[in-house]
Amino acid sequence: MNNIETSTLDKEMPLAPPQVRSNAESELEHYGAIHRDCGIDGRKQTLLKYLGGIAIAFLPFILMVNDPYWLNIIAFTYLMGGLAAAWNIIGGFAGQFSLGHGVFFGIGAYVTARFYTLFDVSPWLSMIPAALFAALIAVLISWPTFRLRGPFFAIATMAFNEVAFVIANHFDSLTNGPSGILIPFKPGFANMIFVERWQYGLLMFVFAALVIGITVLLRRSRLGYYLLAVREDEDAARAAGINVLSVKLRGMALSAGLTSIGGTLFAMYLRYIDPPTLFTMTDVGVKFALITLIGGIGTIAGPLLGAALIIPFENFLRAELASALPGINLAILGFLMVLAALFMKRGLVGALTDLWRKLELMWMARK
Amino acid sequence: MDQILNVLVFGILLGGIYGLVSIGLNLIFGVVRIVNFAQGELVMFGMYGSYYAYTYLGLNPYLAALLVAPLVGLIGMAIQRLVIQPLHNEPNMQIFATFGLLMMFQNIMLAISRGEAVSIGGDAGAAVLALGDMKISVVRLVTFIATTLITVGLHLFLSRTMAGKSIRAVTQDKRSARVMGINVERTFLYTFGLGAGLAGLAGVLLTPIYSITPTVGGNFILAAFAVVVLGGLGSVWGAYIGGLIVGIVEAFAGYYIDPSLKSAIWFVIFLIVLILRPSGLFGQVGAEEVGFREQH
Repeated sequence: MNNIETSTLDKEMPLAPPQVRSNAESELEHYGAIHRDCGIDGRKQTLLKYLGGIAIAFLPFILMVNDPYWLNIIAFTYLMGGLAAAWNIIGGFAGQFSLGHGVFFGIGAYVTARFYTLFDVSPWLSMIPAALFAALIAVLISWPTFRLRGPFFAIATMAFNEVAFVIANHFDSLTNGPSGILIPFKPGFANMIFVERWQYGLLMFVFAALVIGITVLLRRSRLGYYLLAVREDEDAARAAGINVLSVKLRGMALSAGLTSIGGTLFAMYLRYIDPPTLFTMTDVGVKFALITLIGGIGTIAGPLLGAALIIPFENFLRAELASALPGINLAILGFLMVLAALFMKRGLVGALTDLWRKLELMWMARK
Repeated sequence: MDQILNVLVFGILLGGIYGLVSIGLNLIFGVVRIVNFAQGELVMFGMYGSYYAYTYLGLNPYLAALLVAPLVGLIGMAIQRLVIQPLHNEPNMQIFATFGLLMMFQNIMLAISRGEAVSIGGDAGAAVLALGDMKISVVRLVTFIATTLITVGLHLFLSRTMAGKSIRAVTQDKRSARVMGINVERTFLYTFGLGAGLAGLAGVLLTPIYSITPTVGGNFILAAFAVVVLGGLGSVWGAYIGGLIVGIVEAFAGYYIDPSLKSAIWFVIFLIVLILRPSGLFGQVGAEEVGFREQH
């Protein structure tokens, strides 16, 4: 990560030609520390940019609207993109690598499924208290854990995920234990159960757009800047008068609440939940992080881009290879994860930004 | 009431197992300051190695250690050289990378073994030593003794030999160690190799106790992290005592509360320690906060 102080120096270097931006500066911009589009016009431009992005993200959905196989993949892509964007709030913006988001995902799924199967409460209604509950749990368990830094935080949150798994298996009066909860097929908008696949696709798209919209707003809010400050240098942020713990807790609560809503949608889409589906590390907690890393950690578009790459790819691998060699699809995914950590630290967004810069420079050199 | 002694002995022997799988991790975690999420998979490699050596070469499962432990150590050195070293000072990326390795190793083994659980079953694993009312599993006793010997050996190695001293020097102050002529990168390489080799050795010793599956490493990794955090980073005896504590707690919780909740209970203990004394019982205070930052 770049040190703000040195990069400001870089910027003021009189020798550098004004059009050529230093690496440090472009990286800072990538992390959102510099806003080029300030002012009213800038805001409009940004709004157009995001609307354009949403339109592009919507496109595959329209194209595949009659193909149930692809619609399934697209629905999952949007869902996982939204969930990764929710993880990105605390993992990317605040730099706190939570591996325990399965807990919040599970809360959303279990609360909704239980209220629905026991009391016939519409998921639309129960997902709100579920999200609030997840946010509350998030604050309670991260309050002490935020004392830990880096890998220690990751390990502790990983332990939360395991505890949730054990609890979900054990207290079967709440969760139905290992046999899981089956949600009966009663289609209807109020039940969030649909006959047509595209209806789910639309639902997931709205979820992803909502979460990304929230991250856009957050990114430009005071809290968003505080989160970045905490990520860059916790001690400096504290010295600057930021209440680090409260900032992290607010980020975590928001992230957890949105993750819980994703859990609700997941439960109503699959209509079956059990502890392994919700709490398997490689399927849930780590995958949110993996998708974000591949797409571009700490960026707005990264999580969705990562999901658009990983989810179809994963489906392809499973369909093509898993029957011949069980597990080989996950092995390849793991290998990809290692490669991404080694060579693509800024993800697809970073790679695309670099490419765009290069083209821009080439174009300018020609002129 | 008369069961207490049995439960205690069972817990101590279980603690030996946890201590054993944690020793290598502690070396890697404490010295190289790397969170190796794939450590459980190295134990799994050790188990499969021992199993294959037994089935295809007819080697005694324990004798296989001479072959398997160095091999796993080499794998560890390759990991350090190819994956960890380039990610020096980037703890978040290390989490990703070693988790990727975990997924890779687990599923490659799944593809090779086709997911069937295997075991070196038979009489050896079931042998019991009866002491009055107590029944002690022989293989577990062997494991416990081996853990004790390895701990003592590692302690002597770190305190008496030049190589061990340079490892400790690097742990304490990388820069000064370099000034003193220690090749820090090479020390990391060998330490990681040693830690991985110990994981392989642990796997070999555990082969008669557990049935072997590609995901068996998952049983150990969180336990091992708990033990290391409980005992203290980089402390050899910390891993040993931490292992015993976790083992005894698990045995008592499993017997007196509910077997299915036992791991949740020691997770809670682990979290309490992490919160109250993050440096562990034998660790250096503050290591958990500054240990992963760049040392100047």
